[in-house]
Amino acid sequence: MKMPRWKMYFYTSPAPHMFKPTSFSWLFAHEINLLWRNSILIRTSRHVIIPVIFVGVVFQAVALGIAYFLRGQNFSLPVMIVAANINLIFLFGLMLSRAMTSAIDVLYARGDADFLLASPIPPVRILAVRMLGVTASVAAPWMLLTGVLANAFAIFGKPQALAAYIMIPMEAAVATSLAFLLVVVLVSKLGPRQARRVSHSLALVVGVVIFALGQAPHYIPASSLRGLWLALMPNDQNINAPIWLPARAMLGQAIPVLIICTLCTGFFLAVLFGRAKQYADGTISAASYAGDSPPQRDNGHFRQAPLAATMLKNLRILLRFPGLVTQTVYRSLTLVPVLMILTGRVAIGTGPEVVVPLLVFLTGQLALFFVSIITGGDQAPELLASAPVLAATGRKAAYAAAGYASLVVMALPVIGVLLRQGGHLPALLACMAGCGLSNLILGQRLPIPLYRPAFGKTQTGTVLGLILGVSASSVWALLAWLLVVPQLPHL
Amino acid sequence: MTVALTVRGLCKSFTKPVIQNLDLTIAPGEVYALLGPNGAGKTTTLRMIAGLLKPDAGTIAVFGTDVIAAPLQAKAQMAWLPDEPLLYDKLSPLEYLEFVAGLWQVEPARAASRADELLETLGLWPHRHERCEGFSRGMKQKTVLAGALIHAPKFFILDEPLTGLDAAAAKLVKAILMERAAAGAAIIITTHILEVAERLATRIGILSGGGLLAEGSFAQLQAQAGKHENATLEDVFLHLTSTAHV
Repeated sequence: MKMPRWKMYFYTSPAPHMFKPTSFSWLFAHEINLLWRNSILIRTSRHVIIPVIFVGVVFQAVALGIAYFLRGQNFSLPVMIVAANINLIFLFGLMLSRAMTSAIDVLYARGDADFLLASPIPPVRILAVRMLGVTASVAAPWMLLTGVLANAFAIFGKPQALAAYIMIPMEAAVATSLAFLLVVVLVSKLGPRQARRVSHSLALVVGVVIFALGQAPHYIPASSLRGLWLALMPNDQNINAPIWLPARAMLGQAIPVLIICTLCTGFFLAVLFGRAKQYADGTISAASYAGDSPPQRDNGHFRQAPLAATMLKNLRILLRFPGLVTQTVYRSLTLVPVLMILTGRVAIGTGPEVVVPLLVFLTGQLALFFVSIITGGDQAPELLASAPVLAATGRKAAYAAAGYASLVVMALPVIGVLLRQGGHLPALLACMAGCGLSNLILGQRLPIPLYRPAFGKTQTGTVLGLILGVSASSVWALLAWLLVVPQLPHL
Repeated sequence: MTVALTVRGLCKSFTKPVIQNLDLTIAPGEVYALLGPNGAGKTTTLRMIAGLLKPDAGTIAVFGTDVIAAPLQAKAQMAWLPDEPLLYDKLSPLEYLEFVAGLWQVEPARAASRADELLETLGLWPHRHERCEGFSRGMKQKTVLAGALIHAPKFFILDEPLTGLDAAAAKLVKAILMERAAAGAAIIITTHILEVAERLATRIGILSGGGLLAEGSFAQLQAQAGKHENATLEDVFLHLTSTAHV
């Protein structure tokens, strides 16, 4: 059956045959084609397009609201510059982390690299395309997030905000170039596994700093905070200093935009041409064999029960997921306000009751995350299918391992609630169990995207699982809040 | 006499018929090579025998146990080794064997000693604590083979088992399979290396057009193809499959 024309716009991708074979454009179109087909939006479920468009429209509407609210505000240039600089720095940290992980895949995923390097295409072209591909994938999510804000500000009389569409790709290009430089050194010293851990830790550090700064008014006196803020701001004498160039470019000043573009492109090209030869002659990939840390010792623990054996396997896969600690800590940042409320340092909303929905939400998110690692990391589901075990064994073992891991993280906060607000414990436990279970079931069927697909393989995971999982956690959290605060506060 | 594998009237279609009315019988101690051109349905047949794919029609029994009606009892006697190694990169060979032994409910003490023995025999002992992610294709294949042997199955289903193995490892694997066959296990194997089939198999079946084109010992196939006794299996295979397509 012929596909309707409107659908083709969603499911077709840039066609490499439009360009001369082996040319840069041809290779780049091929790269984008693969990225598109492997993308979580296209591969996992066609139906995901509708919720994603919906989320995009909601984001744009929220951005329009923010821009409308701020339309009358006139912030001074120094304030705008500091704000833009802080944003650029944090964005750069997150971009660098993501680019480092991608660079490890590009430089050391042998199937992919060997396949391309075995072709008669010049290696510098291959590396350029791979670096641009990483730049595109690093820039894309931030382009979407800042793009909606830039659009909204442009609509409300600040067209210079559209400079974000230039600055974000430029920043991504620098992050990618730096990542390609750093990764080669890190892999040769530490091995690919540890290097990947470093990249995840960088994202964690940036995330924790952002969170800590967000909480600053709770633990830094207002006068000190104001002093710090003033000290960070440029003054009339140094406002043209190079340090403020990126921020001024982000704010849409033409000359800084030109200078930044030139510098970023220059850095990108320098790294590209500096690394291309090493990439081609295998020096880079050979370095990865030098270092990984010695393997962990583990004596045999044979179990006769299939469920126990499968659960142990799942826990091992879970523990060895490269981003386990960082992503668990990220998700568990919810626990910081919980801790502050439980220890009486902070009073938010209705008081300690706020803790209950927060914990329920976190339980759901952790369950979804852990079960997605287990399901997405199951490289040999047919082994279980060929074994003399019931079909439900794999599912139950995934629930058990992910549930156990969630319980380990949540045990302490639950004890905290027991000590501070023992009366809320039944509602908390019931909602945690419901939320955890619903997200375990959901994540086992629709795991969230966590694993980069191997060369020639398709991605496991879907953004639909993520959307539904967050929704389910929110519903359970709302239910928990209604249970512990039966009378709604006056808003 | 007990029969290791009985397949009767097996049919499977996807977008077009792949297997049509296939009959197969394998006796204990027999090594049966299932050959055929690409797309002949060899892997589909093996997957149906392993209980991974439900046939449209027909019956499959392993040592008298119906694979469709009692899959768990049938699977308990089988080992399935596909062409792509079913392996977890994040597990070490020892951990992989723990998992497989658990799935087949091997008594722990016996599984531990069997694992040591297999790791030693297959040259994996020095790597038993290393994660499989850094292994070569051959080492991965040997790890998977150790998994297939740990529960001492009576019936082996092997899809291209020698892929990626070096000459010494391939010889070792062949020796292990012959030893298992001599001990009474039945083996069904697919391979594109016809020399392996010629040396290893007691009987050979050539699958083409959804059914068995020819079946018998190598000598019987030579006779069926009208070839002299010096003809290789490659000559016989090419002759039979080309005449079938004419």
